[in-house]
Order: sequence, then C-alpha cells, then structure tokens
Amino acid sequence: MTFLQVNHLKVYYPVRGGFFRTVIGHVKAVDQISFELQKGETYGLVGESGCGKTTTGRTIIGLVKATAGEILFDGKDLTKLSRREFAQHRKDIQMIFQDPYSSLNPRKRVLDIVAEPLRNFDKLSPQEEKRKVQHFIEKVGLHPESIYKYPHEFSGGQRQRIGIARALTLNPKLIIADEPVSALDVSVQAQVLNFMKDIQKEFQLTYLFISHDLGIIRHMCDRIGIMYRGQFVEEGTKEEIFQNPQHIYTKRLLSSIPNADPLKRQEQQKLRQQIEKEYEQSYSRYFDVEGRAYPLKRISKTHSVAIP
Amino acid sequence: MKKTEHSPFSVLWREVVKDKLALSSLLLLSLILFIVYGASIVLDQEEIVKVDLLSIYAPPSAEHWLGTDYGGRDILGQLIIGTKNSFTIGLAITLLTGLIGLTVGLIAGYFGGVIDNVIMRIIDFILILPFLMLVIVFVAIVPKYNVFTFILIMSAFLWTGKARLIRAKTLAERELDYVSASKTLGTPDWKIIVREILPNLSSIIIVNLTLNLAGNIGIESGLSYLGFGLPESTPSLGTLVSYATNPDVLQNKWWVWLPASLLILVMMLCINFIGQALKRAADARQRLG
Repeated sequence: MTFLQVNHLKVYYPVRGGFFRTVIGHVKAVDQISFELQKGETYGLVGESGCGKTTTGRTIIGLVKATAGEILFDGKDLTKLSRREFAQHRKDIQMIFQDPYSSLNPRKRVLDIVAEPLRNFDKLSPQEEKRKVQHFIEKVGLHPESIYKYPHEFSGGQRQRIGIARALTLNPKLIIADEPVSALDVSVQAQVLNFMKDIQKEFQLTYLFISHDLGIIRHMCDRIGIMYRGQFVEEGTKEEIFQNPQHIYTKRLLSSIPNADPLKRQEQQKLRQQIEKEYEQSYSRYFDVEGRAYPLKRISKTHSVAIP
Repeated sequence: MKKTEHSPFSVLWREVVKDKLALSSLLLLSLILFIVYGASIVLDQEEIVKVDLLSIYAPPSAEHWLGTDYGGRDILGQLIIGTKNSFTIGLAITLLTGLIGLTVGLIAGYFGGVIDNVIMRIIDFILILPFLMLVIVFVAIVPKYNVFTFILIMSAFLWTGKARLIRAKTLAERELDYVSASKTLGTPDWKIIVREILPNLSSIIIVNLTLNLAGNIGIESGLSYLGFGLPESTPSLGTLVSYATNPDVLQNKWWVWLPASLLILVMMLCINFIGQALKRAADARQRLG
C-alpha cells in the first residue's frame, strides 16, 4: 500500500532582476520529483548540499509551498488543502530538525517544549499532560525530572532526543528526519540513530530520512533516492544503490566515501580518480545540454535511473 | 536555584548590580523618583501654580527653598510636580511607542512579504515627515492641549524606530528552527509570535525601552523649552528651563532654571548608565559578570 506519494513535485523560487524587479528566471530547488513511501519503511534522500533534499522534506510538511505537483497522503493532496484542513494532517506528519541547538526554544522548559503539540491538539489536564510528557521523555532515555530544565542544560545528543520526543507526542505516522544527526558528535550519532530505529519498530513509524552522509543512509534506509540539482538521478533499494550504481553521479558520490583502512587509501584514491575521469568523459551521456538529469527510467522492479 | 540563574531578567539584574556606576545610578534614580512621586501626592498643583505678586523672583529662602519665578510661584514645588510630569510623560511615551512598535514590528517581521513591504513603506513615510514642524502644527490646532494629547502626538511619531528594530530582530528570529518546529506542531501564528518569538526578544526590548526613556524625557523638555510643549499651568522640567530664555533670568536668577537643568542632566545620565549596563547584559560578549 502506498503511504505517501509525491508526484511531479516542483518548488521554484523566482529570480527577480532588472529595473522593475520582474521575474527573469527561476531557481529550480525541486524539479519534477516523484517517489513513494511504503508504510513502515525508511526512505533515504541523499545528495550534495543545495540539491533540494531539505526543501522536499519541508514541502511535504507544509513549511514551503509547492509550485506544482501533488503530495498524496492518505489519499488527500496536501498541496491543495487549506491551512485549516492541513492542521488535521499535522498530527500524522512530524519533523525532526537538523540543528538541536536552534530547534528548541531557549526560553522554554522541556515540559513546555514537548507539551506544545499536545496543547494544540489534545485538551489534557495539567496532570495528564505532565504524565504524558514524562512518558515520552523516559522513552527517549532522559530522566523524567529533566522536564523542568531548560534546553541549554542538555548536551547536543540529549537535545536532539528532546526534539524526537516532541515529534513523537502526537503519535505521528510519518516522521521527516532532516539530517537529524549531522550536527552531533560521531559517538552520539550512532546512539541517536539506533534509538530512532528502536522507536520505529515500537511506534511503527515511517521515516523520510534526509542526509548527505552515505554511511548513515546505508545504516538506516531500506530504499534510497539520489538527488542532484533538484532532480532524482537514481532510485532503488539500499543494495541496488550501493552494490550496483548505474548513474555516473551516484558512482561519483559513492566513491567519495572515505575508506577507514589506511592501507587501502591508495586503492581508494585510484578508484576515485578513475570515476572522476569517467564522469568527465561520459557527462554528456548522463546530462542534457542544460546540465540537467534525464527523466527516471525503470531498469528493474525497484531500480530506476535517469538515463536517456 | 540553577533555573532562575539563567532567566533573562536575572541576567540583566546581575549585570546592573555588577556595574557600580549603574547600581548607584539606579539607587539615585529610585531615590529621586521616590521623593518626587511621594511629595507630589502631598503637594497641590493648583496651589503651586497660583500667582503670588508679593514674592516675584524671590531668591532661595526658608519659605521658598529654591526661590520663586516671575509669577511668585515656588520653584521647588514646580520642580517636584514638573519632574513628576516629565517623567510620567517620558514613561508613557516610551510604553506607548514600545507597544505600537512591538506589535507592528513583530507582525511585519514575522509575516514578511507584502505585509512587511506595506508596513515598512508606511514607516518610511512617517520617518521622512518633518517631526518638529508637525508637532508644532498639532500643538496649534489641537483644541484641548494637555498631558494626554501631548503623549499621543509624540507617540504617533516616535514608534517607527522601535518598529524597525523589532522587525529586524524578528526577521532573524523567525528563520530559526524552533519557529519552524512550532509551525509543524500546529501552533497558530499569533501564539508563535507571542509565546515563542517575543520572549526571545525580551532583553533587547528592555534595553531599547530604557535607553529611549532618557531620550523621551529630553524630547519633552526640549519641546517645552521651545514653547511647544506643555503650557505653564502644567509645570514640567521643560517649562522651568524655558524661563531661562529671559536673559535677566539666565544671568541673575539661577535658582529658576539651574535646578531643573541639573535634574534633567542627572536623570538622563542615570537612565543611560542603567541602559548601558542592560545593553551589555543583552550581549553575552560584553558582559562583566
């Protein structure tokens, strides 16, 4: 069953110029992308910075307005809903933000931060509310007494878990995780990621996982979409992408993963140079005259590549 | 407790206490205000502004501690009532402009786009108007000119600066993720503005209001000095200083204008020193304590 379906989504920003500040062009942040999420899976959006992956996530949750295209969630097109109607779906889609330092209001206690969605949707008595917040704070592995503290009293990893607890309070079905660990220490990253996997099982969550870190994507995701300049260049299961990359951009991206083994450094460098050469030679085969990727073409049941 | 240590008000308070100049300014200002507001309850304004022809320009004596003016009116009494009036006006203008500026600035900054554009063009328009000339025109055409109308006229022009400041800060604040988070959690816009953004601007607002308070007292005195402020029947610091436009008073009768001038100087300096300390507190890099 298709859980969330994105069809030909476009987010364009007008570029104004000239004497009358007329629109002279568009920045195509997201250009004609389509993908779908199955219930309970983790879908990874990967790409270099500025390729539109965050914009895609923010459009799905309604922070950015879509220029065209549709986002079908439970059979309803989120882009066509009015603000009030959208509020009903807010409960089902939540977001984990990239920066745990700016995503928590420094002037509010943890109790008020985590209870914010509850106060918007459920009318609970203060006792019930407190109990519920404590329940979720314990779920994310923090001490229940910490609800009376302020965000600055926590470490980065703890803050990110507060952000996760806040996203969980409404029992959402879909969580958009926008680089949830890229601001964290490597030692804390694993902790948060494994925790996210645990709660995925427990709450039967679907993740849209946005990241530029291929190691993390490999660890977390079932299916992966590679984005380049606002478009998809390749989409497939984790195995297909990592074992059998078809698009030159994917190959190039994968070759950039550093090898931890110092003895294989030479080998890795050679591979990288070889792919770089291939990239330069075959660039025109994978991208059109404007430097844009071709539409996706299905090469197996789950694997699609942008080739002419 | 650890929690209270980091609330914005305790940080501001700590900074003021740490700065000896600001602390003594605060004490001195509180003392002045305490005396002025305390004494003005006892004093009768009607009695003080009553003309007494028998004691015109009396120098300081046991009966009139600071002498009298050209109408034989007691200067000390006028000074007290005048300080009360001037300070109340300054405070009222500050609060009123603060309220308008805050509302307009938050709305313009938060919503941005067309709303922001329209509001900012209106503010630009008000800013280019010749402020002094318009105040003079208003003073001439307003039929019942008293403390209240004076406050309204001044506030109508002085809110723009605050609105611009608040807008700029809100623009920066709304880009932070906690605002986006609140939006995704379904919090309505007005709640985000009041409960999320406003508390994060509180220290800047307090600093700006304090520094503005000194300026507003000065503006009142300045206008009254020029003769476009309050009428003589409502004494203020400005009306007392304006007696010095008479060269004879300026040269020979220092008791008429000097105390009021000194009081303006002392009050403005005090408020400014406190404001500077608060300003440092709002910027972590400049803090002393």
